[in-house]
Amino acid sequence: MSKGSNEPFFRRAYGRLVGQLATRAGTHHLAAIEDAVQVSMMRAVERWPRDGEPQNPEAWLYRVAHRELQGSLRRSARRQALLTEHAPPPEPDGGALLPLLSACCAEGQPERTRLVLALKLVCGFDVREIAQRLFMGEGAVRKRLERGRRALRAQGELGSFDAPSIRLMVYAIFAEGHLSHEAAVRAELCDEAIHLARTLVRTDGAPTSEALLALVLLHTARLPARRSETGALVLLEDQDRALYERAKIAEGLEALERSARGNAYTRYHAEAAVAAAHALSPSFEATPWQDVVNAYAHLERVSPSPLHRLNRALALAELGGAEAGLELLRDPPPSWLEGSYLWSLVLADLNRRAGHRQKAAYHRAQAVALAPEGPIRDAVRSRLSAV
Amino acid sequence: MPRYLCLQRSIPGGDDSQPSPSDMQAMYAKFNEWRAAHEAQLVDLGGRLGEGRLETSGPIDGPFVEVKELAGGYMIVEAESLEQAAAVARGCPGLVRPGSGVEVIEIRTP
Repeated sequence: MSKGSNEPFFRRAYGRLVGQLATRAGTHHLAAIEDAVQVSMMRAVERWPRDGEPQNPEAWLYRVAHRELQGSLRRSARRQALLTEHAPPPEPDGGALLPLLSACCAEGQPERTRLVLALKLVCGFDVREIAQRLFMGEGAVRKRLERGRRALRAQGELGSFDAPSIRLMVYAIFAEGHLSHEAAVRAELCDEAIHLARTLVRTDGAPTSEALLALVLLHTARLPARRSETGALVLLEDQDRALYERAKIAEGLEALERSARGNAYTRYHAEAAVAAAHALSPSFEATPWQDVVNAYAHLERVSPSPLHRLNRALALAELGGAEAGLELLRDPPPSWLEGSYLWSLVLADLNRRAGHRQKAAYHRAQAVALAPEGPIRDAVRSRLSAV
Repeated sequence: MPRYLCLQRSIPGGDDSQPSPSDMQAMYAKFNEWRAAHEAQLVDLGGRLGEGRLETSGPIDGPFVEVKELAGGYMIVEAESLEQAAAVARGCPGLVRPGSGVEVIEIRTP
């Protein structure tokens, strides 16, 4: 690890070390493995400042954790297997990290439990940190971890990895970050999603994985412009596009280009196309709305959701006027979305722009009442102040 | 310049929760900073103390506490005064916190 770098080396190493040891010792010994990795890092903090940082810090951690695990598995048959092996050098991170992530995503557990498990074992967050990031109580996190670990132990061995379920998990981590009210959490979880998507692309190189990487990079590139100095949310049309992160956009576009191989067009492709349209447009007015409308129409086909219809209506309104957008929303939304501020927000906005003042006022009141308190409600209020 | 022996003492009432990988990375960075700031005064960064025992000339009354329960680690610091030495020790990350304190003792050499 290079001193002064921003890379969360210990956290990243945590997932790789747990993965490698679980590959060798099996998932039955998950608790002992996690303890061994914890001990290796505590030793590092004690020893490295005195003796200097080792040439290969991760190999050092691995050796210590490996020895520690051998000690704690004294009575297990697995010990023999671990003993006969001289601690091998750490593998490139795709080696064991993806099978571990895949095991965390295995069927049979609720999505939230899988997410908690992945954040703990793969991303190296502890219970307190997960609770803060997912806005859950520590007790609830602990319960989910317990159930998830039990299911993981029952799996026994880490197998190969399953790219589709890994992509879903990366997307879930990204969505959790992207939607977070807290800027620091948002940046950190989005970076985590980028890191995992890069790892996946390096290992499987599949066009769909490339599309996922493009999507998370291109959206994350716009994060610095999403929040004003006072902490308020800044809407797309008011964002200072000079704040977009150029390096992430460039890397995202490269991934997007590589994703256009083969004949699969997935929701990740469609969402990456939307993200690219926004990230590349020099201004809100110059947005290629037709591309955005097309991408959302695609998205509705490959992954039907009223949220996609809502987004398409907004893009359509920019392209062909507010009535065109409203036309698309004439069918009532499903009940789960009816209670959401998003639906009301869009209806208030489009009705105002179409000159339907009474309808606009009605939906405005709904949107403000339904929006979560804090920056989101403030943004809704300011967005609709003209209604 | 006088030297001081710094002994880490466990104090009841600490929480036994373990630091997260992020915490450990932060501790490592802080420790490096602290060491760089006091390089000249840190004579011996010492180490952890293991088991020990007291050898005596005969039986002694009174309850004895095993060494390992008393002290977690030691180091030797050079400073102008006890106050200065204590300030250096206090600044060492992780030493003074709930559950842990440091005892600073002057080493008098003839």
